[in-house]
Amino acid sequence: MSLEFSEKAKKKIEEIVSRYPQKEAAILPVLHITQQEFGFISDVQEKMVARILGVKPIRVRELVTFYTMLSRQSLGKYHIQVCTNLSCHLLGADNFVDYLVEKLGIKPGETTPDKKFTLSTVECLGACERAPCMMINFNYYGDMDPKKVDEILDKLK
Amino acid sequence: MKEKVLTEHFGLENLHKIDVYQKQGGYRATEKALKKMKPQEILEEVKKANLRGRGGAGFPAGVKWSFVPPTDKPKYLCVNADEGEPGTFKDRYIMSHNPHMLLEGIIITSFCVGISVAFIYIRGEYEAIALRLEQAISEAYEKGFLGKNILDSGFDLDIYVHRGAGAYICGEETALLESLEGKRGNPRLKPPFPASVGLFQCPTVINNVETISNISHIILNGAEWFVKQGLPKDGGTRIFGVSGMVKNPGIYELPLGTSLKDIIFKHAGGMKEGKKLKAVIPGGMSAPILTADEIDIKMDFDSLIEANSMLGSAAIIVIDDKTSILDVLKVITKFYSHESCGQCTPCRIGNSWINKIVKRIAEGKGKKEDIDNIVRLASNIEGNTLCPLGDAAAMPILSITKKFRKELESQLQP
Amino acid sequence: MIKIFIDEEPVEVEEGTTVLKAAERAGIHIPHLCYHPAFPPEGSCRMCLVEIEGFPKLELACSTVVKEDMKISTKSERVVEARKAVLEFLLAEHPLDCPICDKAGDCKLQDYYDEYGLFESQFKETKEKKEKKIKIGKHLILDQERCILCTRCVRFLKEVTKTQELGVFHRGVHSCVNIYDGAVIENNYTGNLAEICPVGAITDEDFRFKTRTWFLKEGESICPLCSRGCNILIQYHAGFSRFELPKRVYRIKARENPEVNGFWICDRGRYGYSYIDEGRTDQIILNKIERENVLTRENISEYLGEKIKSVASAEKASGIALILHTWLSNEELFLLHKIFRKGLKVEKIFFADLPQGKGDEYLLTSETSPNRRGAQEIGFDIKTVDLDALAKGTDFLLAFGPFLSGLFSLKDLKAALDKIKRKVLFSPHSNELDSLFDMVIPVALIAEKEGSLTNVEGIVQDFQPVLEPPGDSLPEWKVLSDLGKELGIDSDFFKKFPTPETILSEMGKTIPFFKRKND
Repeated sequence: MSLEFSEKAKKKIEEIVSRYPQKEAAILPVLHITQQEFGFISDVQEKMVARILGVKPIRVRELVTFYTMLSRQSLGKYHIQVCTNLSCHLLGADNFVDYLVEKLGIKPGETTPDKKFTLSTVECLGACERAPCMMINFNYYGDMDPKKVDEILDKLK
Repeated sequence: MKEKVLTEHFGLENLHKIDVYQKQGGYRATEKALKKMKPQEILEEVKKANLRGRGGAGFPAGVKWSFVPPTDKPKYLCVNADEGEPGTFKDRYIMSHNPHMLLEGIIITSFCVGISVAFIYIRGEYEAIALRLEQAISEAYEKGFLGKNILDSGFDLDIYVHRGAGAYICGEETALLESLEGKRGNPRLKPPFPASVGLFQCPTVINNVETISNISHIILNGAEWFVKQGLPKDGGTRIFGVSGMVKNPGIYELPLGTSLKDIIFKHAGGMKEGKKLKAVIPGGMSAPILTADEIDIKMDFDSLIEANSMLGSAAIIVIDDKTSILDVLKVITKFYSHESCGQCTPCRIGNSWINKIVKRIAEGKGKKEDIDNIVRLASNIEGNTLCPLGDAAAMPILSITKKFRKELESQLQP
Repeated sequence: MIKIFIDEEPVEVEEGTTVLKAAERAGIHIPHLCYHPAFPPEGSCRMCLVEIEGFPKLELACSTVVKEDMKISTKSERVVEARKAVLEFLLAEHPLDCPICDKAGDCKLQDYYDEYGLFESQFKETKEKKEKKIKIGKHLILDQERCILCTRCVRFLKEVTKTQELGVFHRGVHSCVNIYDGAVIENNYTGNLAEICPVGAITDEDFRFKTRTWFLKEGESICPLCSRGCNILIQYHAGFSRFELPKRVYRIKARENPEVNGFWICDRGRYGYSYIDEGRTDQIILNKIERENVLTRENISEYLGEKIKSVASAEKASGIALILHTWLSNEELFLLHKIFRKGLKVEKIFFADLPQGKGDEYLLTSETSPNRRGAQEIGFDIKTVDLDALAKGTDFLLAFGPFLSGLFSLKDLKAALDKIKRKVLFSPHSNELDSLFDMVIPVALIAEKEGSLTNVEGIVQDFQPVLEPPGDSLPEWKVLSDLGKELGIDSDFFKKFPTPETILSEMGKTIPFFKRKND
């Protein structure tokens, strides 16, 4: 089964590649699109991206393993990323994580069996004035407490 | 009476839309710069304004621009919107509330230095902000402030948003360039400096979001005015980001030289209910820690250096007396260990080693030589690494072990 | 030229020289791990930090370019402490594999710890666990725990072979080098990776667990497996061997020569050394014994001279035939040309070599012998063997080398050789040819004699013996030097026993190509 980007993604990739004097510079933006399309970047996607940008697949994997936001494994539909850096720690990030661990029944780094939620701890998200905070996919949520968490998660289908 | 430079209109609805922005006087600076000034004049004005970098290093912007040599190669501007320094969130505010102010700064800077392509390298987590920036850029193209022959000046400029993907090290300027070129974010050896050999081997200027956002104001109101809003040697204001155990965490634009005590207790509402001040990190996680007795200090570049700390990203993290300093050290060492790119020996191994020791102490298995070892290892990292991340890790570790030694020692096995 | 001071001694170097190179020139070794002269400075190991007056921080010797009047200290307290610090960091996460690691004795980490370290380990934590036995090349094994991330291997594959099979994955202390999904490195230069690895992270399966480096002696030689003439080091057991005797050679390493092979050698040359020890003929083989003669090394030339004289006279030169090959040295080919072509006017001179191979665009040539160019410059017309022309009217055949058996079937060879009355073979290796000749004289290999070779680009390179010729083997030039005297050819030249040195000098006088600048 040969995997391909959607037409929309192909167009976006073409436009992005045209911005740079060297094709290789477009790798990171293209990897973002890839992760969005497929949910993760496995060796199949690595080879696709490598082909499009004229680099070797090994160079792609070097990046996927370097950057925290790129994932080689498939993630749950909602990736809950809880900040455990200093300001959030001061405002109780540890308890926040414990609450999620109990609520979801998984530990950081794991995905729920129904593949709905993946839980991760991350470093500073740049929203320290709203600590403790989390990011679900790319949406920021600050000033968290158990009640707010319940509300947000219950709304996610 | 000192004025706000950057955040004046932040409460305005739809300020991020070009029509609203223009109604507040937006893009007048661009018109003035491109139609009435020469690049050399702009450079002189920025130099006179004593605008120092707002990313962390504090290097004078005008001086940095003047390092770009005459060349036939294309020149680039990279706006550092990676904002990874823990405690920092000011650039997020600027870009989401007033993206056109940043774009104006980019246009004027590029016109001054002779740059025709600018990249905004924004951290991957700020996806919503990246979209907002792209929308603003679209609007700017439509109104003719970007693209070819801007305002009939003969000057072309394209701005592109380039998203990072979760690596604090990419906030370091040469690692940013590597990442932009499609490689791992491994910092480069300096010399050569980016001003001569930067993006795609071409001369490149790299500046922080807040730094560039000041440019339109300097051009419109003049360098003298700008200096008056701050200090004679450090013109302008800083957007201080206050977080931690205060009543009102958030951004506070205040003149350079404002007292730290005032920022915490006057502007940010003081400590949260029932909490007492124990320590403050004044300039983002890499800045050496200050004890509760040391907060009577002016928040400007030089005063903090004198106090053996630094202004850095002006991110103020307020720590209370119920928080264990060992836990703080654990969070800090975990961060640098996780974010080390791994290229050079001292940072790659040293940070992980120190984190391992701290974790062991936190598990109740600390030995009496552990604190001395931590100090020794951190001192061996400092000054010996390829890029400033090593120093950024060593400085907080050394200041914490120095100023809170007794508390740390009380955590060791008897 | 600019003047600088290293450890208070004045040194003069060219502009643009790095501190590291300048120190080298002054005889001062600055320790370094990630730096390799073949690549631009990397600056990541931090081992080469030195103190320079006027610079607040310690600076890298590998990448800092000297300026007039620079005062550098490679021994100050700060430098000593920094080196210890870097070593301590490296050793903290390094597995204590020395007892089972092939690199021991040849390992930069050991050497530098010995010289600059000598401290007790303070690391009480758990070391990072990584993979320890990944097959990354046809002869290569990668141990990620031993790796110090100098990235020399990654850079070699990027800059030299441009094939990029290795990469660095993950970040921070979890960083590790690896191939992509089992895509084993298959280019012709993989052996260089084990050589440039400063520690035992990349090891060579060909050498794995066979011996200890401190049992090895080494000598300089030239690789004869193609016509590039790469400079090599032959590492051999001095005196005794734990394993099969008489195995002597354990490893071939590259030797730097900017004009010929740069820093590298190819895998064909590196791993193809079994010919040195295996299948050697080390005794004179007599198939058709002349009862009145007892042949030893000493009287071979006398015997041959006698037989040739009985055949050779002005009219009967046509009765002599020669089969040569292009592994012979310049000196040997010159003597052969002088004696037989010029002296005895022999026309039937053929060449039997190994079949052509496939060269690559870098070092390996398609020519599979080291001295074809030498033979050409000396004046030989390199004709391949024609068995009919060879046998027709030939009374005496002098053949060199074992390569005939690869060119013709035994049946055809026997048919041709049976027509020839007397036939003598000089060969280092034993094979089916032995039974077809009257006698086989064992000869030395290039690794066992002295002389010179001319490479594909016309560069003449001297070589000296590294090993002793086994048993009764002797170099061809010795036999030929005696033979020339026996046959009375050019008595002025042959009266004083010519050695490769005097022969090459003579060649410089008579053939412009071989004239050396200092002649």
